[in-house]
Amino acid sequence: MKATKLYLLAFLALALAQWYVPLQMIYKKEKVHKTGREYKFRISPVDPTDFFRGKYITLHYEENAVEIPDEQNWTAGETAYVLLTTDEQGFAKIQSVSKEEPKGQSSFFKAQVAFVSRDGSNTLRLSYPFDRFYMQEFKAKQVEPLYRQKLRDTSNTVYALVGILDGEAVLKDVLIDGVSLKTLLNREGE
Amino acid sequence: MSIRKEIDELLQAGLITEETAEKLQRYYQAKERTSSNRLFIAFGILGAVLVGLGLILIIAHHWDELSRTTKTLLSFFPLLIGQLLCAYTLLKKRNNAVWRESTTVFLFFAIGANMALISQIYHLPGDTAIFLLSWMLLGLPLVYIMNSSMTSLLFLGGITYYAMLQGHSSYAKPSPYLYWLLLLSIIPHYRKLYKNRPQSNFTFFHHWAIPLSLTFALSSITGEQDKLLFIAYFSLFGVFYILGDSFLSPSTKPAANGYKAIGSFGTVVLLLSFSFQWFWKGLENSPPQFFPSSPELLAAVVLSLTAALLLYHQQKDKKLRELKPLTTAFIFFIAVFILGTSFSSLAVLLINLYLLVIGSLAIRNGARQNQLSTLNYGLLIIAALIICRFFDTKWSFVTKGILFVLVGMSFFLANYLMVKKRKTT
Repeated sequence: MKATKLYLLAFLALALAQWYVPLQMIYKKEKVHKTGREYKFRISPVDPTDFFRGKYITLHYEENAVEIPDEQNWTAGETAYVLLTTDEQGFAKIQSVSKEEPKGQSSFFKAQVAFVSRDGSNTLRLSYPFDRFYMQEFKAKQVEPLYRQKLRDTSNTVYALVGILDGEAVLKDVLIDGVSLKTLLNREGE
Repeated sequence: MSIRKEIDELLQAGLITEETAEKLQRYYQAKERTSSNRLFIAFGILGAVLVGLGLILIIAHHWDELSRTTKTLLSFFPLLIGQLLCAYTLLKKRNNAVWRESTTVFLFFAIGANMALISQIYHLPGDTAIFLLSWMLLGLPLVYIMNSSMTSLLFLGGITYYAMLQGHSSYAKPSPYLYWLLLLSIIPHYRKLYKNRPQSNFTFFHHWAIPLSLTFALSSITGEQDKLLFIAYFSLFGVFYILGDSFLSPSTKPAANGYKAIGSFGTVVLLLSFSFQWFWKGLENSPPQFFPSSPELLAAVVLSLTAALLLYHQQKDKKLRELKPLTTAFIFFIAVFILGTSFSSLAVLLINLYLLVIGSLAIRNGARQNQLSTLNYGLLIIAALIICRFFDTKWSFVTKGILFVLVGMSFFLANYLMVKKRKTT
């Protein structure tokens, strides 16, 4: 009986951990969702890909390169803190990258260095932790044709809405000219 | 049941006493019960695995229409059900393997489904390695608390996949050292299983799963000295072979002895691939530098020392004549590797000769011990060696053709003679 109690206690602790880990993930992301500052990122071609967590589209961010003082200081694969600002049209722009968390700021997020120039041009290309947009399995396939069709009108802009707070980022939506992709696809379906 | 009828018949014919008949009946009943229990466990697990995988697939649909809150709440539903089932099992059915295994397997998948759904809702980035790692860490204690061997097997699969993803990613990520720690964490369960139930199916599956996992994971060690990893592989297969040959309990069936099978097969496949010239030419042109800090060197040294230690233990009371060529292949390869850095052609020749020796000895042993499987394994090795040489020697087609015909005929002849011998004895 004593052994059963011990096992049950251990199991309870584990069950709590099994709740704590996802809840803590949710809490962190919810906080950014609700209180993080929203940035609009210009994106270009999206390609649907498969995976066992479901179907998603991959987003390519146009604003993903930045000039750095010395390319020798960086290597591909390491973490970079990206501090953001906005351009005249209100889209996200990289203000600076650093190896440490920027102090006294909240509009930054953690990204991974994807590529460092080695030809003296001192450029850093980044890969963002919000490049996947999960979608309903049948809708993901329709995104590319829709995107191409919408792009024929050059005044259309495609962008991702991302909440940013203290190093964390949450991808909230993908929009074409201010209309959510989900809404657009639903309209197409009708 | 026909057995019962036969027992009755034997009783009536006066061949057995009533007491013996009763004993026989009881024996067969008990046997029936364990085999039906095994079937229950198998179906229980199969059911739980299917339901669990089904959940993950349903979640993968990504229900656009539901709000974020609804989806989040739903993602915890299977987790809660799994936890309640497991808690019930702990309280009421702790000694029932069917309950233990199937509820735990279900909970194990529910953890993954829950995390997958959350990463969908918040569009978390695509690092599958990290996803798997958190899943496996949250699932590992279940192996011990619930005493579930199937979960242990799933865990082994998960950490192996993690090591492969992390080790072979396009970025220069750190080698997945955590894998080795995670593997160690499952050893106590494996030991208990081996000690308490050496003949159970779960033990057999572990005898295969652990060497398989190691074989895959070793390739995730990546540094600058990838050629040294081949030495590590030879030694790893050496360790497996010696373990399976001498350290696993002798009652282990050949089909359950994953160590011996993987060790033997792995060694032969490696030898066959090194019987070509290309590797050695490359080695001669750019011999490896022995950086003391390279992870491949560390792996090669640790594994070779382990293999040597095991070999010493195995052979200390035996005669040198009883040494099997498969157990010493790793030492042979280290020697040839060093030789090969300056004399590539000699290395190729030696590897080919070694394979020829392994093949011929297997044929001889098979014939002496009257084992068709060993005999054919030897013949296969020789045949594979000849097929490999088909590609890179400049012999004429006629010579190659005659060789093939000879090997094919020896297959027929050897098997025929063996079967005939069996019939006469």
